[in-house]
Order: sequence, then C-alpha cells, then structure tokens
Amino acid sequence: MDCVICRCEEVLLSDIVRAIEDGYTSHREIKLKTRAGMGICQGRTCRLLLDQVIASVSQGPVPKTIGIAPNVPIRPIMLGDLAKGGGKAK
Amino acid sequence: MSMYMKAGIRMTSAEIVVIGAGVIGTSIAFRLAESGRQVMMIDRNGIGAATSSACDKAIFLQSKRPGLHMDLARESRNMYNTLEEELGQSVEFKGAGGTVAIHTEQQMLFMKKFVHDQTQAGINVSLLNQKEAKEQQPILADDIIGASYSPDDAEVNPLKLSQGFATAAKRLGVEIMTHTEAIGIEKSNGKVTGVKTSKGVISTETVINACGPFASSIARFSGVPMNIKPRRGVILISEKVDPIVNGSLLDAQYIAAKHLSGQQPEYGIGLSLGQTDSGNLLIGGSREFVGFNKHVHSDVLHAIAYHACKVVPALTNIRIIRSMVGFRPFTGDGLPIIDRSEQLRGYILAAGHEGDGIALSPITGCLVRDLLNGGGPTSRFLPHLTSDRFKEKTLL
Ligand SMILES: Cc1cc2nc3c(=O)[nH]c(=O)nc-3n(C[C@H](O)[C@H](O)[C@H](O)COP(=O)(O)OP(=O)(O)OC[C@H]3O[C@@H](n4cnc5c(N)ncnc54)[C@H](O)[C@@H]3O)c2cc1C
Repeated sequence: MDCVICRCEEVLLSDIVRAIEDGYTSHREIKLKTRAGMGICQGRTCRLLLDQVIASVSQGPVPKTIGIAPNVPIRPIMLGDLAKGGGKAK
Repeated sequence: MSMYMKAGIRMTSAEIVVIGAGVIGTSIAFRLAESGRQVMMIDRNGIGAATSSACDKAIFLQSKRPGLHMDLARESRNMYNTLEEELGQSVEFKGAGGTVAIHTEQQMLFMKKFVHDQTQAGINVSLLNQKEAKEQQPILADDIIGASYSPDDAEVNPLKLSQGFATAAKRLGVEIMTHTEAIGIEKSNGKVTGVKTSKGVISTETVINACGPFASSIARFSGVPMNIKPRRGVILISEKVDPIVNGSLLDAQYIAAKHLSGQQPEYGIGLSLGQTDSGNLLIGGSREFVGFNKHVHSDVLHAIAYHACKVVPALTNIRIIRSMVGFRPFTGDGLPIIDRSEQLRGYILAAGHEGDGIALSPITGCLVRDLLNGGGPTSRFLPHLTSDRFKEKTLL
C-alpha cells in the first residue's frame, strides 16, 4: 500500500522506491530526484522515515544520513530579519 | 554498505570513461553515445549532486561579454529550444526573459556601455527606464533607476537537466556508476590505459575529466597539471510563494561582480533572483575565493539578505528555509577548458565553466563530441578553449 513519506512536498513511498530502483541510492540523490526533504521542514519530519525506506529497499543497515547536511538557517527565518543580523533580533 | 557497494564492479572496459556526472559530464556522455561511442560515466557521489545542484537556474545571455563568450552562450541557448524533445523529458526550460536592475548612476553608465556593446554583437537587449523596469518586474524597489531587459534570457531546472541528460544517455547504452570515485589514471608510454576507481579498474584509452571545480584533483593523478579554482557561491532558498518574478532577475552589481576584477563589492555580493516551478525563490548570491570551505560565515548570509531586501523590498517578509553552497569552477577568463592533453594521449579535460555551466551545458556535450570525432558544427570554438591559452598569457 502506498503512503506519503514527505508531507511538505507530497512525495509517496512509491516515488522513493522507484528512485532507488533507478539507481538513486543515497539520501541526497533521492532528495534531488523526488524533492523528499526539500520542503519547509527541510526533512525534519521525513528524514528518519526516508532512511528506513532506503535501508529496507537496499536491504542494508539504516544509513547515517551523511547525505543531508544540516543547513543554515536551522529554522525558517524572514529575509528581513536575516538582513538585520539574524533571528535574535526578532 | 549500499547494494552497489556489495556488488562492486566487474573488472571492466569502456571505449570512453567520463568522470563526473554534473550538467557537463552528463551532456558529454549523451552526445558521445548519440554519435555511436560506447561510454561509461562514473561519479563519486550521485548524478548532479555537486555544483550542478547548488546553483541558480539562469540561462543568461545579456550577462556575457560580447565575443567568444557570447557566441558560445548564444549557440548553447539555441540548443535548449529542441533539448526537451531530444531528451524525451521536461527540464522545466522557459524562455521567460531576463532583467538586470540598475540602482546607481555609476551602474547606469557601466550598463549603457555594456548594453551598447551587446546590441552591436546582435543580442536582443534593451535599456528600460524606471517606469518600464517596474512594469517588467513589479517587485523592484521604487528607487530603481532603470533596467536592461532581454527576451532571449531563459531558465531551466538544473536538477532536471543533469537527470534528463543522464536518463537519455542511459537509454542510448551509457553505463552509469554512481558512488564510484576515480582515484587514479593508469597510463603506459604516454597514453591512458585505464581509470582506477574505488570499485575497481576500468580499462579504457580515453578518459574525460568533467569534474567541474574538482577537476584539478583528477589532473593531479593524470600528471597533467592545470589550475581550476573553486569560487564559492551562496544562495538562500525561500518557502514556496506565488509567482512573483518574471523570468530571471539580476542587478547591475552582480554584473559588476562578475566582470570587474578591480572594485569588488564585499563577498562579491550581487542580486540574483529566480523562482522554481515549485514556487521556491532562489536568492543569491556571493562570489569568494575561500577554497572548498562549506562553512559560510553568517556575515555572508546577512549581506546577501540585506542586498536582496534593498533591491526587492517585497522579499522582506518571505521566509528562508535553507541556504545552498556551491563552488564555481573558475579558470580565470570565464571560459571552460575543452582540450586534449599534449602530454598524455587519451586524456581530455572538459571543465571550468565558472558561473555559466548551466547555460553552457548543451553546447559542451557537442564540443567534446566534435573534439573526439573531428569536424562538426562546434569545432570552430575549440581552438579558443585550449589549456595553453593561459600559458600564452603568462608569457606575454
Ligand atoms: C551559487 C552558484 C550559482 C550558479 N548559477 C548559475 C546560473 O544561474 N547559470 C549557470 O549557467 N551556471 C550557474 N552556476 C555555475 C554552474 O552551477 C556550474 O558551472 C556547473 O554546475 C558546473 O558543472 P560541472 O558538471 O562541471 O560540475 P559539477 O556539477 O560539480 O560536477 C562534477 C562532478 O564530478 C564528480 N567528481 C569529482 N571528483 C570526482 C572523482 N575523483 N571521481 C568521480 N567523480 C568525481 C562530483 O561528484 C560531481 O558530481 C552557478 C554556480 C554556483 C556555485
């Protein structure tokens, strides 16, 4: 049965399985191919699920998600606030 | 260990090995396969996973200097007209035009000359007054004094571009091995005999270094030195918003940062703004020589944000969800090196597209095909893209 893995970008389990079968094996490649983890939460919700899907399809251990580096800003921030010198100013 | 690691690769051979699967390597693999060559393409990461997924999406003509640079860009831009049909899939190509915003009288002087030279060179570009500029890009600040506009500027989704070339190449028989790092070039009697990879040796007589900003490390194995430096760029990515940008938007400070080596703004800041089909804004950017340092000091982020809000105040209340760091492959004159080595037969370099690799991706596949096969429609460019052009310069 199909289900949603990445809610922000509405990426289905079947999209991810298809990408893995097409040779996109790492977290980063799957993100670039399917947009899973590219949305507003930046993978905070789906990262662990995605790791488990990769592990189960490739029948390997759960990857350590080295592919998706945590990125600044850690949380969404208004451009105007960033211009002022960051979230602290809020 | 992934399933690919477990399987390893057989000791194998190919007529041509392309190292690097960014927008450049994938375009090369596709054109070579199309011309009947047997090609293997390897990448230490994934398809388009390095510079080609940490960049803007603009195919700008009006930012190019008239001459060779412009001619290459124009020819490549025209190839985009039929590319989706050739690849059998969308790369989100749009000929939506491009605007360069001008905010100071000094920039106006520079841009007047720039636009004049481009018009002379046959580029369809015009200078807009303040009212026309605001009509073209309503989000521009009220104190903008004008803009230049070209309907021929275009945009593409770079992720789809390398994936599209790779999928089409695969269909033509190209074997693609990701997570496979080149760790040496095997040679004998001044000729390439193979590529040593993290998963075994591929024997071949022809190897193409399409490693973009990382090309110098392959050059080191090959014993053929060259100097491509990484020029770091940072882009801020916003949440999804309704379409607010018409085509691509730059500001004159960006053009200045790109072309004037003397008076660089701090961190090489200049505005670049584009919007993806999904609605995210790409807000750039910077140009710095800091090696391959991915750690971006927050001052750079503040500077990009500050400048963007100044030129486009409408961005002030838009939320940024992440930043992107990429390394432009810098050769020194803004043009790539597409050349075979004199010292090592069978070793070909195709890298160094700096900030124009997306724009020049289509033509680069054809350039390398024509270099290997001889003749062909793009061969007239090749004498200008050799690596010894830099030697001549230092001799003079
Ligand atoms: C911030 C920024 C904005 C930009 N904006 C634009 C724009 O709007 N328009 C435009 O035209 N261009 C733009 N560019 C430039 C463009 O992104 C680059 O010129 C282009 O992506 C370079 O492509 P490439 O294939 O040569 O390099 P890459 O995409 O870096 O590909 C090289 C590949 O080689 C692989 N590799 C490296 N070493 C090895 C090894 N030892 N073994 C195996 N594989 C290896 C890497 O994993 C990588 O996938 C921008 C660049 C930046 C940084």
